Amino acid sequence: LYFRGFWLFLGQSPPGKPEIFKCRSPEKETFTCWWKPGEDGGLPTNYTLTYHKEGETLTHECPDYITSGPNSCYFSKKHTSIWTMYIITINATNQMGSTSSDPRYVDVTYIVEPDPPVNLTLELKQPEDKKPYLWMKWFPPTLVDVRSGWLTLQYEIRLKPEKATEWETHFAGQQTQFKVLSLYPGQKYLVQVRCKPDHGFWSEWSPENSIQIPNDVTMKDTIVWIFVAVLSAVICLIMVVAVALKGHSMVTCILPPVPGPKIKGFDTHLLEKGKSEELLSALGCQDFPPTSDCEDLLVEFLEVDDNEDQQLMPAHSKEHPGQDRKPTPLDPDNDSGRGSCDSPSLLSKKCEEARANPSTLNTPEDIEKPENPQTSITRTWDPKSTSLEGKIPSFPANGSKSSTWPLPQPPSHPSPRSSYHNIADVCKLAMRMAGASATFLDKTDTCASRSSKNVETGGEKIAVEERAVESCHSKTDQGTAWLLPREKTPFISVKPLDYVEIHKVNKDGALSLLPKQKENSNQTEKASTSENSKEYAKVSRVMDNSILVLVQDPQAQNLASFEEPAKEAPPSLQQNQAEEDLASFTSAPGTCGPRGGLDYLDPTCFMHSFQ
Amino acid sequence: ASVSAGPLLPLLLLLSDLLLCQSVASLPVCPSGAVNCQVSLRDLFDRAVILSHYIHNLSSEMFNEFDKRYAQGRGFITKAINSCHTSSLSTPEDKEQAQQIHHEDLLNLILRVLRSWNDPLYHLVTEVRGLQEAPDAILSRAIEIEEQNRRLLEGMEKIVGQVHPGVRENEVYSVWSGLPSLQVADEDTRLFAFYNLLHCLRRDSHKIDNYLKLLKCRIVYDSNC
Repeated sequence: LYFRGFWLFLGQSPPGKPEIFKCRSPEKETFTCWWKPGEDGGLPTNYTLTYHKEGETLTHECPDYITSGPNSCYFSKKHTSIWTMYIITINATNQMGSTSSDPRYVDVTYIVEPDPPVNLTLELKQPEDKKPYLWMKWFPPTLVDVRSGWLTLQYEIRLKPEKATEWETHFAGQQTQFKVLSLYPGQKYLVQVRCKPDHGFWSEWSPENSIQIPNDVTMKDTIVWIFVAVLSAVICLIMVVAVALKGHSMVTCILPPVPGPKIKGFDTHLLEKGKSEELLSALGCQDFPPTSDCEDLLVEFLEVDDNEDQQLMPAHSKEHPGQDRKPTPLDPDNDSGRGSCDSPSLLSKKCEEARANPSTLNTPEDIEKPENPQTSITRTWDPKSTSLEGKIPSFPANGSKSSTWPLPQPPSHPSPRSSYHNIADVCKLAMRMAGASATFLDKTDTCASRSSKNVETGGEKIAVEERAVESCHSKTDQGTAWLLPREKTPFISVKPLDYVEIHKVNKDGALSLLPKQKENSNQTEKASTSENSKEYAKVSRVMDNSILVLVQDPQAQNLASFEEPAKEAPPSLQQNQAEEDLASFTSAPGTCGPRGGLDYLDPTCFMHSFQ
Repeated sequence: ASVSAGPLLPLLLLLSDLLLCQSVASLPVCPSGAVNCQVSLRDLFDRAVILSHYIHNLSSEMFNEFDKRYAQGRGFITKAINSCHTSSLSTPEDKEQAQQIHHEDLLNLILRVLRSWNDPLYHLVTEVRGLQEAPDAILSRAIEIEEQNRRLLEGMEKIVGQVHPGVRENEVYSVWSGLPSLQVADEDTRLFAFYNLLHCLRRDSHKIDNYLKLLKCRIVYDSNC
């Protein structure tokens, strides 16, 4: 104890704890463990390795401290068992004492790390008519027994031009040779190879081997690829340009717009011409769906299309002079490829967006029928009626320089404001439409007012409307009671969509409706009768003659005379139309008409009008 | 880290399975029911080696996953000594011993080991589900190993039928009695039971793979792989 203290005083101590830091087997037949000594405590320290195997009680000492270098223990084949756990401990001993390391559990099965492959050879092969390539060959590490299948090796090679920084790595599988095709002429290449056993670790990279690629080696592929790339780029460019120019038409060709609904059997031409009987009888076909009889009277749907201006124009132009002329039938059911713009659900949106972004949409083509007037009296504005807008373009026509009207323009110029003029179309058409539904009026107002809000095109539109109104007006002498404004309506105020009130029914079965009015504009005498309203006209039944029989309202008594064109200020186009309508009726003022509440009409009144 | 690797591991499994299927699919197949069809011994061995290699990879990954997740700091490795139920089967312990065994005996030995694992693998799958927060990596591998083990057994029986037909040894295998340990309430004991089972599975699958590769090179390639 005294001596120990003396040595401690001199700074000496038992050795520090050693540590086994690596055990490795190069071929799964032998293995080696290396340790790291701890502090030696200032004294010469002796290290011993002791172990025992799984399933044995005997402790052995390391058989070979030399072969693998200092601080190592080499287990030869005789001392190596696979699939067996070794518990290995290092003991450091010096004069002061000894210290043992923590036991290390080693199973040779899982510590296999072979040497690198050997004898790597490189050769540049240049077969005739083929690309030259670099051919490399190697051999498995000498210690590894691959022949018997004890170990199965997989290889990996890497190469790079001498000056490059990044290696190009290739997996070679179980083969011991490899070809490299992409080489730069005139470069000196460095190549390395390594291997890995089937359930072990990668070896180190073999020493570098180099080869010089001569300058005259041609890599023809490169030129071909450059050529191909340039060609593809040119083609892509052409395609892009083509798409850009014709993209829209291509898109519409591939993805035709969704058509909107339309009513078969409704002929707006007939409406205009006053052949209301035919029209309504067509509508009132007894069989449902309409039979072919009806179709005779049917006009194909006018598809208002930029490209079809030619088609429509003649039809319309002929219409102007001669009322009897039947419009050229167009394809009745050709509602494909067009009209997504005028799909009913979009209409309201369009009214709003007309100015916001005039699109290049084609004008809605389909002419839809407003619902059977006999049944839709009190409906709110039915967007379906937008189908009528197809007719509109004819009006303004021709005189309009405004690009809002598609027809007058040459087909090659799709109206940039098609969406805009769609609204206008609708409005115009609404104006022209028979009193089938004065809801048109509402919409017209709405559209008109909204459009009028747009500074940019407001003026034009109004001007157009004026013309439309005029031209409409010019046709009023047909004896049919259509809602045609007699006056110009330079301004059309907005009105929210609303219900209409039945004003009267003429002999043709057309219903003249008055709009529900919230405001009072300058009305003349009996306008008051048409003002109060706000009630529905209830259809009780339909009579044979396409007459709509409405439920009588007990209250309403005085009817507004048919002559009560309530001349309102323009803001209410509907009113004007109603007035016109009234004016055109040729019946004596009777007691029919909207009562004070304008709710129910007396059916008997209607009978009168039919006389 | 294992959690983040969670979604990747099934994918890896799938990929490796696909590769496995591809490599197997490229070999000629006997339509089921064909009597005279004979897949060549070379093809049988190739397929068997592919399966055994795959099974050991799965076992190794499964063990590592479990070790990382449940066994850290518990010193299980010190206890998993001489604790495999297949220790009673006298298997060669190094290359020389393996090369000295006659290939028929080696084949039978392989069959015995494979059969010894039918039962434990079956229970492993059901009991792994009961592990606390059992990661899908372990469960999916367990299921895969069980299935592939069955296929390997079938393949081995075909090989045996070709190598020395007519000799049908009794179905000898080691009985596994570790099920109660997998179900015990004490978590530490139960986890060690799993650890031990996975440790033994990793080892035995490596043995089978090694023996088969030896046999393949010896029988099919005449010791010249």
